[in-house]
Amino acid sequence: MKIRQVFYTLLMIFAVVAMNACACHKKPVPPPPGYGPESGQNGFSNQSGGNVGDRWKRLGITTEAQKREFLDSAAAFENQDVYFDYNSYTLSEPAKKLLDDKIAFLHKYPSVSVTIQGNCDERGTEEYNLALGQKRAEAAKDYIMHSGGGNFHLNTVSYGKERPVATGHDEAAWAKNRRDHFALKY
Amino acid sequence: MFRLRRGLLILCCWLLFWGGAGFAKALAQTIYLDINNANFQKIPIAVPDFKYMSSDQSELSRKMADLLRNDLNISGVFRCLDPKGFLQDPQKMSMEASQINFQAWKQLGADFLVGASFQVQGNTLRLDGRLFDATGARLVGSPKSYGGDVGAWRQMVHAFANDILLMVTGQAGVFNTKIAYTQKVGGAKEIFECDFDGSDPVQLTHDNSIDLSPVWSPDGRRIAYVSYRDGSPKIYVLNVATRATRLLCGYPGMDITPAWRPGGGELAVALSKGESQDLYLVNSSGGIIRKLNVGFGSSISVSPNWSPDGSKLAYVSNESGGPQIYILDLSSGQKRRLTYSGKYNTSPAWSPKGDWIAYCAQGGGSFNIYVIRPDGSDNHALTHGGRNEAPRWSPDGRMIVYSGDYAIRIMDANGTGNWRLMRNSGGGQGLPDWSPRLNGN
Repeated sequence: MKIRQVFYTLLMIFAVVAMNACACHKKPVPPPPGYGPESGQNGFSNQSGGNVGDRWKRLGITTEAQKREFLDSAAAFENQDVYFDYNSYTLSEPAKKLLDDKIAFLHKYPSVSVTIQGNCDERGTEEYNLALGQKRAEAAKDYIMHSGGGNFHLNTVSYGKERPVATGHDEAAWAKNRRDHFALKY
Repeated sequence: MFRLRRGLLILCCWLLFWGGAGFAKALAQTIYLDINNANFQKIPIAVPDFKYMSSDQSELSRKMADLLRNDLNISGVFRCLDPKGFLQDPQKMSMEASQINFQAWKQLGADFLVGASFQVQGNTLRLDGRLFDATGARLVGSPKSYGGDVGAWRQMVHAFANDILLMVTGQAGVFNTKIAYTQKVGGAKEIFECDFDGSDPVQLTHDNSIDLSPVWSPDGRRIAYVSYRDGSPKIYVLNVATRATRLLCGYPGMDITPAWRPGGGELAVALSKGESQDLYLVNSSGGIIRKLNVGFGSSISVSPNWSPDGSKLAYVSNESGGPQIYILDLSSGQKRRLTYSGKYNTSPAWSPKGDWIAYCAQGGGSFNIYVIRPDGSDNHALTHGGRNEAPRWSPDGRMIVYSGDYAIRIMDANGTGNWRLMRNSGGGQGLPDWSPRLNGN
């Protein structure tokens, strides 16, 4: 029991230190730690240990222009969320079109890994929304796997209604929160 | 606080023991009122400030009496009279039935009268309490006595409140129980516990993450809960005494909504398990005993909650569109839909006697607590308007705790009475769960 306690304490200290290290690098207001993998841009700038040149080569990038192109499309990949109707995890036609763009990106850079984060608006109850968010993340994952046909690195996580991007209490805010967000790691 | 309680030795002893005949007489004077009757009226009771036998302890006297009044008011059985109307100086009140002017208490409207005195010696406290029947002008049951550290005065008053309820209704109260809940702490959500009346809130986890869905084990020593501390939602078990936590379910995907099976080490959980999301039965190490196969197509199955005999599960499924409550019979594998009114019904909670299922229903822009019989009859609302979610029963089935507009509230199981716990906490609370009766208090 003691050993386990010490282990968890060390683990938590390590986690906190690691999170702080991430947070001070980038955003002025970091999300609370434990909220899953950071966005790709963060992940990228954090890779201070490895050989940066190798990392680019693995993505098929050899020139500064290619690098700029990658970063631009990676930003677009992460910034374009897929939205859902209330209480639904069915992909709309615009959602599928957006996912087709993401598939094109993944074909071009198949070594990146993607975490699909399912989210809900504030109206539902907490536990049901966790399950609903998971279904939303899986809907996008299924579509990418089936339509994309590639062997992509895709993870899912549901945040339920725990992580709203818009804090209002009207349909405009709710619509923004019923979303899949995509985080890249490369 | 915990160490304090551990150190506390509460003595609940029969002070007056008049031999066999006297014992029978004492039993005969116990009054069991049928408080489950629909026409039950709350019993008016007078609780004067406690009498102090040592140096001036007027502050503690008032605090103890206030706590007892609060317990009795919350119980749903009693209605405490306003002590401002009491004519007699409590410090001069006699503890002997023969010397109490019951007629005066009756005129104030009291059916029952509490007489309590205490002594502080050094760091120890001794509390003596008696319950009198004002109509019969007699002692009810036997005198009670409690002892321990001064700092544990709350536990002693709660124990006295339990005994008062036991003497009047035949069933002890739940005044020594706890409520676990989630509380926002900065940008994180942690698991907390408080006494059933909201006092003494304690932060149990320091995951610095999103923690959700705390549920007490049947023995009250552990709390299973969901945490994002490793990035995605997994189920952990917290030892309440040591605060040590261990991973219970770390399957790929989403592991949520644990529910301990009554009387056993098993839990029902909702796992996404690589997209075959369903309810699963797991053992106390998190190993899968079996998939319960309640899902249909790509439906959601979540929030399992056991019948008190552990034979059935109420749960939420959206297989017919929006979320509705279903019941699964584990031995036959048969499932049936329970709720048909409204389009959004979640968070089922089976009452300890098995006679009701409380749940949360959305309608007209608000969320309310409803109860329904397990056969689908008698469906009705207990709250009316606002945002009321996540109901759970007290272990005696007399009260329901829930989250009302992001604050923990408790109400009588019939919907009357309604208290917000931790009034000054600023909210940010949710997903309460009521502990079983805890030993050692």
